[in-house]
Amino acid sequence: MRRLGLLAGAAAVYLLAAWMVAPGFYDGFAPQQPYNWVCPPVHVGGNKPPTSGHLDIKVIGGVSDANVAYTDDGQVLIDFLPGAFDATGKTSISVDIKPVSPCPKPPGITFATNTYVLTADAPLVKKANIVMRYSDIIPAPSTVYQSTSADGPWQSIGALSESQPFTVDTTFDKFGYFAAGYPSNSVSHGGPTSQLLPIAIAVLIVGVLVAGIPLAIIRRRRGAGEMEDADDQDG
Amino acid sequence: MLSVVAARPAIRAAVIATYVLLVEWSRALVSTAPHVAMAALVLGGAALVFAGTGWPLDRLGIGRSRLPFRVLGGLALAVVLLLPAAARASAAPILPAFLVLPAIVVSVGEEIAFRGALYAALEDFGGAPVAIVGSTALWTAAHALSHPPQFLFAVAAAGLLLALWRWACKDLVAPIIGHVIADLAL
Repeated sequence: MRRLGLLAGAAAVYLLAAWMVAPGFYDGFAPQQPYNWVCPPVHVGGNKPPTSGHLDIKVIGGVSDANVAYTDDGQVLIDFLPGAFDATGKTSISVDIKPVSPCPKPPGITFATNTYVLTADAPLVKKANIVMRYSDIIPAPSTVYQSTSADGPWQSIGALSESQPFTVDTTFDKFGYFAAGYPSNSVSHGGPTSQLLPIAIAVLIVGVLVAGIPLAIIRRRRGAGEMEDADDQDG
Repeated sequence: MLSVVAARPAIRAAVIATYVLLVEWSRALVSTAPHVAMAALVLGGAALVFAGTGWPLDRLGIGRSRLPFRVLGGLALAVVLLLPAAARASAAPILPAFLVLPAIVVSVGEEIAFRGALYAALEDFGGAPVAIVGSTALWTAAHALSHPPQFLFAVAAAGLLLALWRWACKDLVAPIIGHVIADLAL
């Protein structure tokens, strides 16, 4: 009985501790750095604004260097190959990444990241790779969208295999506006977990209770049987 | 050398504690590198399972006796672990599909390492209280590199709950089931 009491106490302590930090028990597989939102979801507290990024790429012998542009908070990273730009007449190429505010909300698409505008003072001649980090407390985006304007139209440019947890990456050949997301009709508002997890837990609770009753009865009968055996031996 | 480690409970506990801590910290650091996250998680989980080699299964708390009770206990532990997330499902992270295998390997590995081998070694050294407190403390320390500080109290409380189950029921099957379900859900 004392053991049961200690277990119940530990469960209560855990529930209290887990309630203080969303989502509670979370055996995170990567260091969880909070996502910096332009327009944070309603349940996100203590949000910090996202940062911009700037890179000057050297042009040597008419060929642009390989380099990586990224925002200071690491939420967007762009990988340029050697000779990625049309560098005619240039000694360096300037690349900028800026979060877009207000947040574009195109019909039929739900963005799971901020929208970023990528600009450079030279056009691309080779595809560049973009990696966008997304928050771990929202449904994962299925693709990266690109547009020439914050007002759209937005076009899916796909997503490559995920190289890192909570990131989505793809390639692009023109600068413009970028955001990761999914078609609104593919995931219900609030994400699949918002409906599945409470239902799964409710089913588990019912299952534990229903299966626990016969186990408790069997255990009690065994206990009573052992006591009777002991009484018989005593007599 | 191996005989010295085997004969002295304090040294054996220290060796296992150092090993699991190094594996967990290495896994946390390596899994942040591009393109190796999945491999690091699976290999790290397998390395944790390795901590249980050489121990009889019953000393690790693994067995088929009272199996329905153990399975039911695992489901009950999963309910407790997931209840706060279920109550606030909109704030729950969603495990990407490619992390399903790593999540299973890591959660099984962590249970065998912390509530299995480390618990047994600490119990040999100082009894159940040392095993419960020691395995919980090391479990919390092991998550220091992979979790923000504000999560560590919940991590410690989860470790204490699982260690108390291990002590009260002499069982590791339920913590494994509960841990795997919780990791798959989040």
